[in-house]
Amino acid sequence: MTRTPLLTAALALATAPALADCPVKVGVLHSLSGTMAISETTLKDTVEMLVDQQNAAGGLLGCEIEAVVVDPASDWPLFAEKARELLTVEEVDVIFGSWTSVSRKSALPVLEELNGLMFYPVQYEGEESSKNVFYTGAAPNQQAIPAVDYFLEELGVERFALLGTDYVYPRTTNNILESYLKSKGIAEEDIFVNYTPFGHSDWATIVGDVVELSEDGRQVGVISTINGDANIGFYKELAAAEVSADDIPVVAFSVGEEELSGLDTTDLVGHLAAWNYFQSAESEANEEFVAAWKERMGEDRVTNDPMEAHYIGFNMWVNAVTAAETTDVDAVREAMYGQEFPNLTGGTAVMLPNHHLAKPVLIGEITEDGQFDIISQTSEVPGDAWTDHLPESAVLTSDWPGLGCGMYNTETETCVQIQSNY
Amino acid sequence: MLIRKPSVLVFLASLALITIVATVLAQAGLVSTSFVKLLGKTLCLCIAALAMDLVWGYTGILSLGHFAFFGMGGYAIGMWLMWDRTETIVTGTLAQSPLPPTPLEIEEAIGTQIFGVVGSSDVPWLWAFAGSLPLQLAFAVLVPGLIALVFGWLAFRSRVTGVYLSILTQAGTLALSLWLFQNDSGLRGNNGLSGLQNIPGLESVSQAVLSLWFLWASAAALAGAYLLAQWTVSGRFGSVLRGIRDDEARVRFLGYEVEHYKLAVFTVTAMLCGLAGALYYPQAGIVNPAEIAPIASIYLAVWVAIGGRGRLYGAVIGAAVVSLASSWFTGGGAPDINLGFYVIKWTDWWLVLLGLSFVLVTLYAPKGLGGLVDLWTGRRSRNVGPMGPDVGALRSKEEQA
Amino acid sequence: MRLILALVLMLTGLPAMAQNGPVQTLLQTYADDIAKPSRRTIQPVLDDLAASGLPAMPSFLEAWADKGIVQRDEDGLFFYGTREGDIYVLRSVEDGSDAGEVGRREASELKPNAGVRRLIGTALVQFQLNDPDPARRRAALESLSRSPSADLLEPLRASIEGEEDPALRARKVALDRLITVRFGTDLDTRLAAIDWMSDQVSLEARAALNGLLTTDRIVGAPDADANVARVLTVGDDITEADALALLADEDILPPEVTRADRDAALIAALDNGEVAGTPVHTLNTEAARWTAYEELAAAGQVPARPPEDAVATLLAENPISEVYDEPDPTITAAAEAALAEVTSRVARAQAADLGLDALSLASIYFLAAIGLAITFGVMGVINMAHGEFIMLGAYTGYVVQQVVPDYTVSLIIALPLAFVVAAAAGVALERLVIRHLAHRPLETLLATFGISVAVQQIVKNVFGTQAVPLTSPDWLAGAWVVNDVIGISYIRIGIFVLALIFLGVLVYILRRTRLGLEVRAVTQNPGMAASLGIDPDRVGMATFALGSGIAGVAGVAIGLFAQVTSEMGAGYIVQSFMTVVVGGVGSVFGTLAGAGLIGGLQKGIEWLNPSNTLAAQTYMILFIILFIQVRPRGIVAQKGRHAQ
Repeated sequence: MTRTPLLTAALALATAPALADCPVKVGVLHSLSGTMAISETTLKDTVEMLVDQQNAAGGLLGCEIEAVVVDPASDWPLFAEKARELLTVEEVDVIFGSWTSVSRKSALPVLEELNGLMFYPVQYEGEESSKNVFYTGAAPNQQAIPAVDYFLEELGVERFALLGTDYVYPRTTNNILESYLKSKGIAEEDIFVNYTPFGHSDWATIVGDVVELSEDGRQVGVISTINGDANIGFYKELAAAEVSADDIPVVAFSVGEEELSGLDTTDLVGHLAAWNYFQSAESEANEEFVAAWKERMGEDRVTNDPMEAHYIGFNMWVNAVTAAETTDVDAVREAMYGQEFPNLTGGTAVMLPNHHLAKPVLIGEITEDGQFDIISQTSEVPGDAWTDHLPESAVLTSDWPGLGCGMYNTETETCVQIQSNY
Repeated sequence: MLIRKPSVLVFLASLALITIVATVLAQAGLVSTSFVKLLGKTLCLCIAALAMDLVWGYTGILSLGHFAFFGMGGYAIGMWLMWDRTETIVTGTLAQSPLPPTPLEIEEAIGTQIFGVVGSSDVPWLWAFAGSLPLQLAFAVLVPGLIALVFGWLAFRSRVTGVYLSILTQAGTLALSLWLFQNDSGLRGNNGLSGLQNIPGLESVSQAVLSLWFLWASAAALAGAYLLAQWTVSGRFGSVLRGIRDDEARVRFLGYEVEHYKLAVFTVTAMLCGLAGALYYPQAGIVNPAEIAPIASIYLAVWVAIGGRGRLYGAVIGAAVVSLASSWFTGGGAPDINLGFYVIKWTDWWLVLLGLSFVLVTLYAPKGLGGLVDLWTGRRSRNVGPMGPDVGALRSKEEQA
Repeated sequence: MRLILALVLMLTGLPAMAQNGPVQTLLQTYADDIAKPSRRTIQPVLDDLAASGLPAMPSFLEAWADKGIVQRDEDGLFFYGTREGDIYVLRSVEDGSDAGEVGRREASELKPNAGVRRLIGTALVQFQLNDPDPARRRAALESLSRSPSADLLEPLRASIEGEEDPALRARKVALDRLITVRFGTDLDTRLAAIDWMSDQVSLEARAALNGLLTTDRIVGAPDADANVARVLTVGDDITEADALALLADEDILPPEVTRADRDAALIAALDNGEVAGTPVHTLNTEAARWTAYEELAAAGQVPARPPEDAVATLLAENPISEVYDEPDPTITAAAEAALAEVTSRVARAQAADLGLDALSLASIYFLAAIGLAITFGVMGVINMAHGEFIMLGAYTGYVVQQVVPDYTVSLIIALPLAFVVAAAAGVALERLVIRHLAHRPLETLLATFGISVAVQQIVKNVFGTQAVPLTSPDWLAGAWVVNDVIGISYIRIGIFVLALIFLGVLVYILRRTRLGLEVRAVTQNPGMAASLGIDPDRVGMATFALGSGIAGVAGVAIGLFAQVTSEMGAGYIVQSFMTVVVGGVGSVFGTLAGAGLIGGLQKGIEWLNPSNTLAAQTYMILFIILFIQVRPRGIVAQKGRHAQ
């Protein structure tokens, strides 16, 4: 049996450049059901809002933009399946999607196989740079490292509790932080690490352990990579144990405005979060964005960091398509490098050759109304795909336009692999 | 012998027809690769449903852990897929070094590549044989079998039956998935094993072709499993199984070693699930602990119940219909229903529909979709008796007395 | 931008400031530092501000720390500012007099970070120690305890005399001792303070003692007057790797040749396909590479690897010892003794605390499982949707809080309402589904599972996927604190009490009431019970209502300390069944024992492995599976025919 016709047909399907035949299709690959729907539905709505705004502004290349929404249902293999469907059946020109690392890793092989283009809007653990993904969320050096610097320098923290949910992002981030802290002279025994399951609710013992850390008289700080719902129990327990932010500050990397809306924040005032965006940022663009969002979704809805990431990513893509005068993936990718777009927090985001953004890092203190008081804002920090603080990845770099490689070993001066490690 | 049974003939013929039609349509470019993959995966799920039907529909053991065996098969084959692919990449990189690579260097580099994601670089002992396809293939079947054997032996020996056994299997499944969720367990924690659709050595074959190969393999495996299951439930062995389902004590009094029969079915079906998993996950592309969560095993029971347990084609129909419908509804394929005051979006309401239809089937159509076949053929299947009293049997008899 | 503006104003606008008072003038000297303070640089500024002696300065510092100061962009002047809509209402920093208003965009709030706020707090201590307002004095003591300093010891001691509030006075005395231990100069008072601490378990006391006992590791013989803590034995007190690293730091040990060093050397020596005469293609094992390296070393091209036995000799020749930073041996000896005493007391307290945690977890499990103990344990009905009753209860609590804003009142309404809602749902489930599946437990299991999936999704569709807030009233906030080690939150105590109440009520109902008698009769022999005039359907419904209702109340309780989501019930269902099965089906006390065992076990495993809570759960479930092998009928086994 010969399958050559099929092969060519599939290849033709996969590689045929989508030459601005109307409408321009934007795939939305966010879970609308299952555990991750909590976070991802918001992003689906964000993309739809951005698409509507762009259509109101005249569309793209003279075409209407159409959002194609699919539901991978928080089921990781479905991300691969739906990505394939979007690229081959719907023939979308770009995908905005994914939240968890595992869902991104699930979709990656398909994106690379079919030469798709995806914008990934969430802060993540780094250690990846795919030719087919633009990472608009924060890499560890754009969130975790500045937050730890703030702890070390501004709060004088000398003992660290790294609490996280047991999955890849906390594990890798904590590994990076441990090695970073050691390089800053913090001894191993002064770093307490704990991992809990998703949705953990019994926090009494862990909070007790953390409080105990201050027994040798040095300042203790908590770095929390606790994910999702589990934060609610954690903060409630912190409040119940009367641990104030002045005694033991907690900085969280996965707690934003959206997460706080499930909580009474009176007892959490002063605890911290590090992001690239807070709703409270004072700029005109942000006020417009927040107003548009509230008008569309309701007065009580809040905006958060991954939404800003999509906002930047979507607008950069629109500009890149306009510049390239086509939606063809390779042309758009070339046009993406160096794209600039104003952040909602002020300053300008730049797309780097390693597919990450240069963005400012903000540290906010939780206020009583569930928002954040921005107490520290850096200038733009370039996102680093491969962290400098782990020996294996310190030698790696990513430079797509220059080296054509996302995992380039600078020591041996060779490209480790063109495809990503999934 | 078996082939002459009409239901088997019809089943095999329809399976062959579906596979051939799918292939032809795919060749003509009328159906997409993702649909072929979906079909192939569905066939694998049908194998698992067959196994579930054997163990529950025929023997009366409601195992809420059979999907864990399915996942184990996926993990076993996934380890080889990841290892081999990574090894190719790594040796390619190391070959550029002026010194020829040492075995230690290769292993370390593979470790860093595979486990770098979870912040480690050591190769866990579980991966000792990951480089060997035959061994990992054997593990895909043997590991589920062994675990089922040990678990079943412990459980059946102490006469844990009925809902107690169900709860125990569910707890075991939960323990396994929690263990896999840990990063330290050596199987990449929550991320699981990914990139499995890239088959080492077949890089030049496109996914469009590979998906067809897997479709055929899955269809062949399903056909084989169906024949095996049919053979198991026909004849004396099958009669004893149904006897155990309907009244375990009586079969025991007749002198049969009930425990041995149960153990044999439990183990063989676990191995069957492992095999199905080994075929499924290279098509799905990723296996991770969420696949093994207790809910997955319950869904397996749901498919069998909706399809109609106690008959093999019922299980297959159930698995196929529910998983395809699920994919259609959540994929946004179903049109929204506008009630004027409220718009029913199927992505939101599909699970409600599934849950309720499941209740309704249990209440009003215990024979499930397979019962429709009876309506059509106009006869009552010999094999479908009462669904089997379990713990409640004694009490219901008391009540009648 | 703001910074530059301020800077420009500083340089050009000095005359404009002349009309301002002394506070503003002084502030303008440091305008940059005050507008953008950093913990690292602000101390001299604070010292200067505090030393200015201006009477208005303390209240400025307080407002600054409270984020109550704004800087007007046009001239860089500082004001007390309160935001009202789109404007700031300004007041003068000199005397608090009205200073007009400014648009929200024309001024910026000063937001000193927590580190700076702490320093401001410390700077304020000297002003606040004798303040007539007790709250200010308390704030001063808090600041002092967070960052004790030698300078403040004298002002603190001086303030003890005049302190009238007994609690604050005790606190001042305690702080005096804590600071004396660290910064005191008089040997006897320090020793007395150390002696006082040996009776404490507080974190502060331990912190102070530990602070005295910090050590440094010294390689080689310590100085004659060094206060040596101990000499380390390699292998026991310090790992060989660490010891070698220390020696390497001191350049005593030649640095180890790593594999990377070796390979780099080999590559460097690569010549015409050979390394030191060895063909390069044979270097594909570690052993071959080391041999090649040693040949290079023998040829003197690379540094040799330190011989194995040399390491042992070097370690023996260079003892490693720990030397106290505190020079006085009497102090360190006293501190060691005191700390040992404190530590053993703390260990006992920790055990007690762990016990409390276990008790609390057990009561949560009990509360979640007790409803199931009735429906599953007593009636033999398996209900996978039990967790959804817990969830419905929690959502009832949430809805009530939306309607009744007062948390106490809403809780009082929510508890019975949750019971009613869940009980009604339970009765509906029993009448519509479970009754039709009587004596088909496996099918009941699956049908109720279907209900569970549907209910979860409906709740998600109605309330959204986000977790909803369920807030406890103030009197349930906070914790009962015995000392710095033992403490438990009031919510957990409340749950414990609730569990006790339900235990009592259930035992009473089952043993002392007509309903209980009928329930027992129906479960033991429905036929006989029916012939005696008991309506089994009615009894079944009543029992189911009771069991489900209790689950609803449990939902409110659980929602108060953890998250309320549509999936919260599913998280408890397996655990609850385990609790019932382990405890022994059919017995309320069995469920109690099961909950106690599981809660205690989980905490025990967590204590053994504090860094991985997930592992604890896995091991616990495995243990339970094995436990059921040993005691298939559970801890409290039912006897008689009902047992099977």
